[in-house]
Amino acid sequence: MGAVLQNLINKPYEHGFVTDIESDVAPKGLNEDTIRLISSKKNEPEWLLDFRLKAYQKWLTMEEPEWSNVRYPKIDFQAISYYSSPKPKKKLASMDEVDPELLRTFEKLGVPMSERAALAGVAVDVIFDSVSVATTYKKKLAEVGIIFGSFTEAVHSHPDLIKKYLGSVVPVGDNYYAALNSAVFTDGSFCYIPKGVKCPMDLSTYFRINTEESGQFERTLIIAEEGSSVSYLEGCTAPRFDTNQLHAAVVELVAMDNADIKYSTVQNWYAGDENGIGGIYNFVTKRGLAKGKNSRISWTQVETGSAITWKYPSCVLQGDNSVGEFYSVAVTNNYQQADTGTKMIHIGKNTRSTIVSKGISAGHSNNSYRGLVRIAPTAAGARNFSQCDSMLIGDLCSASTFPYIQTRNNSAKVEHEASTSKIGEDQLFYFAQRGIGSEEAVSMIINGFCKDVFQQLPMEFAVEATNLLGLKLEGSVG
Amino acid sequence: MSVGADSKSLKNLLQGQSQLSASPLDRVNQLRTNAVNQVNILNLPTKHDEDWRFTDISPLTKISFQPVREASPLKNSDVEHFYLTEAVTRLVFIDGIYAPHLSTQIAEPFKKSGVVVSSLAAASSENLAAIESHLGYHTELQDNIFAALNTSFLHEGALIIVPRNISVETPIHLLFIATQKEVSSHPRCLLIAEPNSRVTVIEDYVTLREETYITNTVAEFALADSAHVDHVRIQRDSKEAFHIANCSVSLAQKSNYQSVSIAFGARISRYNLNVLLKGEGAECTADGLALISNRQLADTHACIDHIKPHCTSHQLHKCIIDDAAHAVFNGKIIVRPDAQLTNSTQSNRNLLLTSKARIDTKPQLEIFADDVKCAHGATIGQLDNEEIFYLKSRGLSEVTARDLLTYAFGAEVIERIPVASLKLRLEQVVHKQTQRD
Repeated sequence: MGAVLQNLINKPYEHGFVTDIESDVAPKGLNEDTIRLISSKKNEPEWLLDFRLKAYQKWLTMEEPEWSNVRYPKIDFQAISYYSSPKPKKKLASMDEVDPELLRTFEKLGVPMSERAALAGVAVDVIFDSVSVATTYKKKLAEVGIIFGSFTEAVHSHPDLIKKYLGSVVPVGDNYYAALNSAVFTDGSFCYIPKGVKCPMDLSTYFRINTEESGQFERTLIIAEEGSSVSYLEGCTAPRFDTNQLHAAVVELVAMDNADIKYSTVQNWYAGDENGIGGIYNFVTKRGLAKGKNSRISWTQVETGSAITWKYPSCVLQGDNSVGEFYSVAVTNNYQQADTGTKMIHIGKNTRSTIVSKGISAGHSNNSYRGLVRIAPTAAGARNFSQCDSMLIGDLCSASTFPYIQTRNNSAKVEHEASTSKIGEDQLFYFAQRGIGSEEAVSMIINGFCKDVFQQLPMEFAVEATNLLGLKLEGSVG
Repeated sequence: MSVGADSKSLKNLLQGQSQLSASPLDRVNQLRTNAVNQVNILNLPTKHDEDWRFTDISPLTKISFQPVREASPLKNSDVEHFYLTEAVTRLVFIDGIYAPHLSTQIAEPFKKSGVVVSSLAAASSENLAAIESHLGYHTELQDNIFAALNTSFLHEGALIIVPRNISVETPIHLLFIATQKEVSSHPRCLLIAEPNSRVTVIEDYVTLREETYITNTVAEFALADSAHVDHVRIQRDSKEAFHIANCSVSLAQKSNYQSVSIAFGARISRYNLNVLLKGEGAECTADGLALISNRQLADTHACIDHIKPHCTSHQLHKCIIDDAAHAVFNGKIIVRPDAQLTNSTQSNRNLLLTSKARIDTKPQLEIFADDVKCAHGATIGQLDNEEIFYLKSRGLSEVTARDLLTYAFGAEVIERIPVASLKLRLEQVVHKQTQRD
């Protein structure tokens, strides 16, 4: 079994290449001038600059968090360039006008945007490094009143909405990396679903980190008004670099009465080579506010990339009867480190949350689940169910669970269970006996292990996720 | 909380340390010096320390505690209600001071075969080697200011040595009685179970008066190959007291440690249980029950560390939390890279009786080996309405049904105590406490 797994585990990163596009890069270093430069480059209004500067001041007073179960050399925040935008910058109206080099990049990824958009009916707001280059399907969405586009654009076209909701779920001083993002974020996605509208298609953004040593600071804001619903997909791939790149995104979701937001992520950034050199540092703050009654926020994530993942998509269940969900598969290999999980903050009455987390570690990697379930005194009748399963492949990796459960209400019911297992010789033997080779058997076992989570992904993402796991661990997954 | 407050309270806690007379044992003197240094380096933990995040011990700094100056003159009749019929061998400590007139010796045949149950200070020369090689070796003083504080005052203490192949049938009762206000006591236990020996130890903390005092204990249990130790720990200190305890257990090959720990008392209590499974095939069961009310806080931190393969550990910790009480549980299971074929389970179940009751639990797994079976679970809830309905349908009143179910919840742990009279007595306490009026 050892040799087979070894082969499966050592698949090289297939998405490692650098697209040769001239970038407009800001000088390295972070100070007020850098922030003013970013703000002026983007023609931002005064209030947004104030927001950034306030965040920067806050950031200066904060300390880098050290509580997580990950180890990495100290980041020199002055050695990072905080702004880079690809040239040419002229506005594009259709796919044909997109830089052909960029289109080729997507083709190499195996997701030709045109085809994907046409076949799957997905509107892709392409984020290439930090500036939004093209937006498709905008018209169709506009017909039903949905606003979907780049953050920069929205700052100009819908300043009231941005002003009202920016920082309302993740305050500028929430944590070290959220403060950093609030100060220097360059672009991202903005989505507004008006009252009573069911979004006719899955919204999708492709993130890509391209310029070497340029940190990527994305900002996403999704607002679902009363009775609306939306499914949002985020997928990530990045080229191969040997220096570590910092990624500190912030995602904020707001769901009003009876609104429903489903946020799915497949993350396959460069994880470093087999010796743990290089790879992305992924320090992300994602939080959803279930503000209205009966609202629902659901996070699904498949984390396979990044040298270090530090990510806790959370739900603040404020509205009565609101629902929070978290489904996660985290795969680590070689020297990858992942410290990921969720926070479910129950405030409203009869709020419910479900956590299903599957961690797979191989090689020398380190995979941790860290979660918090907090039942506030006001959350009468709250209900939580958590399940965290770990699978270890090989005896050099590790898996940890750190679930915090804090309850202040006696009518709440909270359950947590966790288990650890491996792929047993007896299981492989059973497959062999049925004529199934060990490679296929391993892939089936792993897919079975992750089934609860994959079922939550939208169809086309589920396929991609299965393929990603294949690349990471299995070689060929049917 | 300012640093000034810390150092002041620490100074308070070290009061009287310098007046201690030198011990005849070199090891003790050496440990004390080292521990005093540690106390001076370390700060009192605050809520900013991860290990003390939910347990605020700042009330401790507001009171000045001193070691007892004069032992209370107690007679057998004052304390005999604490005695257990099965436990004929008994060591009694009053406010941390050994009371030989209340204690009873181990039966003669056992004494002849080398079983030692005595005060540490009274240890005879033939046991020195054993003491030298175990005392202070199982408890880490770094980052543990309370263990360091206890060691600074290391003087008397309970010493139990069970030689090879000896099985002590009757339980040994270690009774620690608190009698005075604003007194600090630092009880110490050392148990050495030699290969293939067997013993049952009851560590019992009681009070004669509802006063504010601090009990800060350290227990070290060393189990050699195939030794079997049953450990029952009862904490029924005053509801105004502080109780801080550290217990370190070291398990050699095929040894077996079975423990039940019950916490009823103390305003703030903290129990650190560290079990090291150091030999192949070692087994450990660590069960616990905290039954608290009013403004009590009971904190249990258990760390079960699997170092060698083929070891088994099971833990069931239950909390019944009434009024505005607050329970904290942190259970860590570590499986080291070599510890293949580990089988470990942990379960934490909590019953909140009122809307002001509070629980913070964190069952933790850290696994570095792949061929292991590990599972943990935590539940928080209230009594099941269907169970109550079932009992009501059998003619019980709502109140009786609730009492019965609450009692049964706690009794599951009590039942595991291997000493009948103690079990009965504790069952009565649980019964009384779970009765609503």
